[in-house]
Amino acid sequence: MASHETGPVAGTGQGEAPTDTGDAGGSSTQEAVTEGIKHMALRSGATVVGIAAASAFNEYVPAGHRPTDFLPGARSVVVAGSLGPTNAAWQSPNRRLMEITGYDFRENVASLVVAEYIERHHGYLAMQAPALPTSGQHPPMSMMLAAVLAGLGTRSIAANIILNPTYGLLYYAAAITTMPLTPDHQMEENVCPARSCVKMYEMEGRTPCMAVCPADDGGCIDATITEGQITSSYFNRERCSTRAMNFGIRGHIKQVEMLVNASDIAERKALLYSDDFCRNLAAVGRYKESVAQCFECMRVCPVGRYRRKLK
Amino acid sequence: MSDPDWNEVKEQLLSMALKRGADVACVGDPDLLADAAPGQRPIDLLPQTRSMIVLAGSAPRAGEWHSPRSEVMETVGTADRMTALGSSLARHIEESLGYYAMNVPTATDADDRAFLDFRAAAVAAGVGGPSLAGPVLHPEHGFLYLTVVLTSLPLAPDGPLEQRACPAPSCVEMFDTTRRTPCTAVCPIDEGGCLGGEISEGLVIGRRYDEARCRDRVYHYWVPGYQAALERALSEDDAERRKMILYGSFFTRTMWSITYSNVSQGQCFECMRVCPVGSEGRALK
Repeated sequence: MASHETGPVAGTGQGEAPTDTGDAGGSSTQEAVTEGIKHMALRSGATVVGIAAASAFNEYVPAGHRPTDFLPGARSVVVAGSLGPTNAAWQSPNRRLMEITGYDFRENVASLVVAEYIERHHGYLAMQAPALPTSGQHPPMSMMLAAVLAGLGTRSIAANIILNPTYGLLYYAAAITTMPLTPDHQMEENVCPARSCVKMYEMEGRTPCMAVCPADDGGCIDATITEGQITSSYFNRERCSTRAMNFGIRGHIKQVEMLVNASDIAERKALLYSDDFCRNLAAVGRYKESVAQCFECMRVCPVGRYRRKLK
Repeated sequence: MSDPDWNEVKEQLLSMALKRGADVACVGDPDLLADAAPGQRPIDLLPQTRSMIVLAGSAPRAGEWHSPRSEVMETVGTADRMTALGSSLARHIEESLGYYAMNVPTATDADDRAFLDFRAAAVAAGVGGPSLAGPVLHPEHGFLYLTVVLTSLPLAPDGPLEQRACPAPSCVEMFDTTRRTPCTAVCPIDEGGCLGGEISEGLVIGRRYDEARCRDRVYHYWVPGYQAALERALSEDDAERRKMILYGSFFTRTMWSITYSNVSQGQCFECMRVCPVGSEGRALK
């Protein structure tokens, strides 16, 4: 079963796993070792953690995007998920603050700690899965697929975001290892659409995410739901990415192109010293603080929303 | 269910911050910032704000202050360690205590304005007092980097401090004899520097500060440096000269300082180098 954090996170440093038998042989031993590794990921900052069999990817992605393409002999993928903006950031009336949410990449820390732990304590090869785009906009390995295969969530109508049934939107990273671990099962039921969304769809012909960002009205999302299940979905990725990733590397590249093409010195100067240019550079330099700038489909999503209500 | 002992909660949170690397951790009353410009008040960022936790630390180490190579100090100034600590504390408050908490972004809002005046928050919390040079000075540590966590937790405020660290007695003495303090002497506003002001009856009066000039020097290799170098490159007609600008040390360093902002945000520390507040901690064997 995929695990999630249930109590206070005492720290982000490495703690000792409760069970560490040093060898993964035998099913009960393997399960105990798997639990120990999950515990380590949770101790290192992950909100949820699950295991996928490396071979499970073969059915869904072509050669070149499978765990074994990056680590020959890979047998398991440990997937860590963590929360993005804090609940307070979701509450802020200053929308620009959500654009700079102080995202802390804890899932990356957790996956690195897990990889290091496996190599040092169990003697198997382990590495962080490559998730940043290396060609075009596609990552070498899909963290969304990894999360689904590890039983941490399912794809949603809202921008295909993987929704965890407890937390909703999470960010994912993974460690690939040659170590045999006990895999989790994929979820048997889709998290999306939630019951309240089905009800809304039946009455209005749209869900909260479709209503806030309708594809036929300048937005990015559309879908049909029949008998409580998604029967078709449409997501305008290009439009979404220009909104959600407005500042940062892509925005900067676009502005450099505009600068190079600007023939008028005054025009060039106005662009160079503009608020937008500064924000793009700040987003490039402080990438942790500005990963995405549009959260509206997730703001209205009921999955995990109750967890955003605090005192 | 009865409320927890808020003093105990506060003690635990501040101890945790100190254990994880802050040199100073204090709580401020957000109402003390109620007069800030609309949009920059704590409640504009988090309507439920009841307390501000201000963490300070990660000043350059004593060895770095003593390095004869100016490049060392130019590449160690960063608030990022405090920022990471603030994020971690905010998460802890939300996940363990169930109250809202937000680490205020260190990046700027529209028009390059800060989301919140960190220095005002630090003064309100008693992390330190305002100084003639500009940075908030803690009586013992002197200059420190800051981060601010806004939270709906009802914690008792610590500050402001009753007594300011600036001007230090030695600065008052120096001013009485030379009409300058160490910081105004090292960066005099009337001679191409950024600082000016007087001391009267032990208090700073008539402070003068050229913010634009200071920013240009402190952030020499950062975003403003990148903009300036790119403007020059784009305005240069000669292809060879353009190449020299783009592949030259200055442009390269601006790129390093932007992408490695966790090790390089500020490049001028001279007013703090000569400041006596906290200088004892910079003198080691």
